[in-house]
Amino acid sequence: MDKTNTKKTLRIASKMDKIEKKIAYLTSYIDVLKHQDEVKVEKKINAWLDDQKENLLAYEVRTLSKEDYHQNFIQPKQDEVSKTYDLKERALRQSLKRKLDKADATQKEVLQKTFDENIATLHAELNEKLSEIEKELSVHAPSESARKEALKQYSDEKKKVSQEQQLLKESFEKEYALSFENQKARIQKQIDALKLKLDVLSKTHKSLLEQQENVLPDDVILRLDGLMMQFGGLVAVSNLSFDVKQGEIFGLIGPNGAGKTTVFNCITQFYKPTDGHIYYRDKRLNTIHLNDYIVHDVIKQGIVRTFQNVELIWELSILDNLLVGAHSTYQTGFFHHLFHTRRFLREESVLKAKAIKVLTDLNLLQYKDFYPLGLPYGILKQVELARTLMSEPQLIILDEPAAGLNDLETDRLIETIRKIQYDYKVTIFLVEHDMGLVMELCDTICAISFGKKLAIGTPKEIQSNKVVQEAYLGGE
Amino acid sequence: MLENRTKTTFAPALWWKKVSKHPFFGVFLSLFVMIMIRLLGDIGIVPPSVVDVFAIMWIYIIIGLGFTLLLGYTGLASLGTAGLIGVGSYVVAYALGTLGVSLFIAFILGIVIAIVLGTIVGFISLRIEGMYLAIITLGLSEILVEVFKFWTKVTKGLVGFQIERFPILGTIVREEQVYYLLVIGLILTMFAVLNIINSPTGRAMLSIKNSTSAAQAMGISILKYRLLSFIISTVLAVIGGMLYMAYTRSTIPNLWNIALSLNILAAVVIGGAKSIWGVSLGTIFIFGLNQLVFARIPFFATYGNASLFINGALIILVVMFYPGGIIRMFSDLSRLSKKWYQSIKTRIKEYRYGQD
Repeated sequence: MDKTNTKKTLRIASKMDKIEKKIAYLTSYIDVLKHQDEVKVEKKINAWLDDQKENLLAYEVRTLSKEDYHQNFIQPKQDEVSKTYDLKERALRQSLKRKLDKADATQKEVLQKTFDENIATLHAELNEKLSEIEKELSVHAPSESARKEALKQYSDEKKKVSQEQQLLKESFEKEYALSFENQKARIQKQIDALKLKLDVLSKTHKSLLEQQENVLPDDVILRLDGLMMQFGGLVAVSNLSFDVKQGEIFGLIGPNGAGKTTVFNCITQFYKPTDGHIYYRDKRLNTIHLNDYIVHDVIKQGIVRTFQNVELIWELSILDNLLVGAHSTYQTGFFHHLFHTRRFLREESVLKAKAIKVLTDLNLLQYKDFYPLGLPYGILKQVELARTLMSEPQLIILDEPAAGLNDLETDRLIETIRKIQYDYKVTIFLVEHDMGLVMELCDTICAISFGKKLAIGTPKEIQSNKVVQEAYLGGE
Repeated sequence: MLENRTKTTFAPALWWKKVSKHPFFGVFLSLFVMIMIRLLGDIGIVPPSVVDVFAIMWIYIIIGLGFTLLLGYTGLASLGTAGLIGVGSYVVAYALGTLGVSLFIAFILGIVIAIVLGTIVGFISLRIEGMYLAIITLGLSEILVEVFKFWTKVTKGLVGFQIERFPILGTIVREEQVYYLLVIGLILTMFAVLNIINSPTGRAMLSIKNSTSAAQAMGISILKYRLLSFIISTVLAVIGGMLYMAYTRSTIPNLWNIALSLNILAAVVIGGAKSIWGVSLGTIFIFGLNQLVFARIPFFATYGNASLFINGALIILVVMFYPGGIIRMFSDLSRLSKKWYQSIKTRIKEYRYGQD
C-alpha cells in the first residue's frame, strides 16, 4: 500500500517538475525576447547615428581654430608628402650604394655628383609642396567671426540630432513594444494555464505526502543510513551514518584512503552500495531512496557533483561545457535537435542567457569562448563549479575543490562557494584535504577513517577531538 | 576631437564576410559544385566516367558523415560499414527487382532494417569498447557478406544482382536524373549532421567520448546516445547503399568487403573526424585521387595497386603529424602563407630602401 502510494507521489512530482520547468523556461524567454528587442533598437540607432556623423562633421570643421585646423587637416597631408619623399630619397641612396660597389674611382665621383644634384632637386620639390599645402590654411581655415557663428550652428545641430535620436528611439521602442506585448500576453496566457494545472497537482501531491510517514526530519536533506561498500574483500566504507542539513556546508574529512570519494560515488550512484540506505529530500519534500536510481537520473533529483580531477569536456568551449551541464533541463528531444525547430532554438537562447548569467556571477565571462585546454587549473575548477549551477541543483557535491590550487586561488574559491550557497540557496557537501578551507567554510564536519565514522560536529569540536587527532597524526 | 575622416569601406568584402560566415554557406557551396559537375558533364566538358566517380564519391561522403558521428563524436570505432552498405543495396534490388514495389516502400523498408541492425550493434557497444567493438562489427559485416553470397533465393548469389531502370513517382528515370537524387541525399545529410553537431545531442555525444563519468554526472544516458549514434550511422550507411544501387543498378557481394570499411575509416581519419568538411575532403582523397589522378599516370595505370601505397603513406603521415586531420592543415597553411607574405614584403622593402 505504502509503496504504491510513494510511487504515485513521485509520478505526480515529476509531472509537476515538468510543468515548473516549462514555466521557468517561458518566463526567462520573455526576458530574452526583451533583451533581443533592446539589442535591435540599439543597432538601428547606431546605424542612424553613423549616417548623421558625416553631417555633423561638416559643421564641426567650420568651428575649428587655426591651430586645430592645422593639426587635423594640414599636418596629416604634409606628413604624407614628406613620407613619400623620404622613401624616394632612401631609394636613391640605396641604388647609389649598390652602384658604388661596382664602380671604379672616376665613376664614383660622377655618381656622387649626380646623386647630390638629385637630392637637392628632391628637397626643393618637397619644400615647394609643403608650402603649397600650408597655403590651404589661410584659404580654408575659418575666420574668427565665422567661427562664432559656426559654433552656434554646430551646437544647435547637435541638439537637433540628440532630440531626433530620442524621438527615433521612442518610435523604435514603440514599434517593438507592440509585438513584444503581444508575445508576452500569449506567453503569459500559457504560463497562467500551466500554473492552474500546477495548483491542482500540488494539492493532490500535498494530500498524498501527508498520508506518508516521514523517514527524514524536516531540516535534513540527505541521510546516509548504515552505508556499506565492499570491493571484493576490501571494505571501503562500513556502517556509515550521518545527516546533512538543509542549506548548510557539510565537510567530510579523513586521511588518504579513508573512503571519502567512495562515499560520494555511492551517493551519486556511480557505485551501487553493498548495503545501507541513502535517503534524499527533493525540493517537493518527497523522500527519495537514492539506491533505486540510475547514475544519470540522480541529477534530475537536484544532486550535482564535481570531480577530483577536473572532468570538463576538452573539445567544447567553456560556454558549451556549461550547456552540457544543463543537459538534464532540456525539454526538446532528438527530432527538435535534428531539424533545429523554433522551440529548440528558443530553448537554446534561454539556456545560453542563463549560462552567461552564471559565468558573470563567477567572474568567468572573459573565458566564454575559450577551450579548457591551456586554461589555468584554478579557472577550470571554477568552470566545473559553474557547470553544476546550470542544472538548478539543490545539493552540490564537491570532490576536493581546492586540490592543486595555490593560496590565492583557494581564497577565491572560498568566496565563490559562499556566494553560491547564498545566491543559489543550495546545500553544499564537500570532501577536502585543505584543513584551513574546511575549518573556515563548513558548518558541520564529519571525520572518517578506514571507512568508519570517527566524529561529527562543528569545526571546533572536531579540532579538539582526540580520536580525530590520533587518526591524522598517528597514535601515541 | 575629430575622428579620422579617412574611412576605408570595401563593400564586397563586407558582403562576402557576412555570407561566408553563415553556418550553411559550405553546404550551399557544395550544392553548387555538385550541380556544376553534372551540368559540365551534360555539355561534354567533363567526361562521363569522371562524373560517375564523383557520384560514387557523394555516396561515400554520406556514409562518412554518419561515421563521423560515431567515431569523431561518440568515440566508437566500427569496421562493419561495408556490410551495412551492402544491405542497403540488396534491399533496393530485392524490393524493386523481385517484389516490384515502389521506391518509396523500398526506402522505408531499408530504414526499418537499418534501425534494427543499428540497435543490435548499439546494445553490443555498451559492453564492449575500442578495438574489440571494431572486431565484432567486422564479424557482423562478414556474416552479412556471407548471407549475400549464399542466400541465392533473395540475393542471386555470387554473380550479383542487376536491376532494370526503375520508376520514381511513375516516370522511368535516366542515370543523369538519379545523380540529382544523390545530390539531394548528400545535402540533406549535411544539414542533418550539422544540426546534430550544433545541438545538445552532439554535445552529449562529445562528452561521452571525452569523459563517460562527467557525462553520466550531467545526466547524459550513455545507452541512449551510443544507440542513437549507431542508429544514425547505420541508417546513413544503408541510405548510401540504396543510392549506390539506384545509381549503378548492380551489386555483387565481393564489393562489400573489409577493404571498403577500412577505406571509409581512413577517409574519416585523414580528413578530420570532427568536421563534415574534413570528411568530405578525406573521401575525395581516398576515393577520388585513385580514379581521377593516379589512373591517368602511366605508372599507376600498369601497376594498379601501387596507389594503395600512396594511400597508406598518407594515412601514416596524417596520423603522425596531423591528428586533427587534413582540415587542420588549411588553417596552418593560411597562417604560414600570411607569415611568408610579410617576410617577402619586408625583404623587397629592404632591397629598395635599405634597412631602417
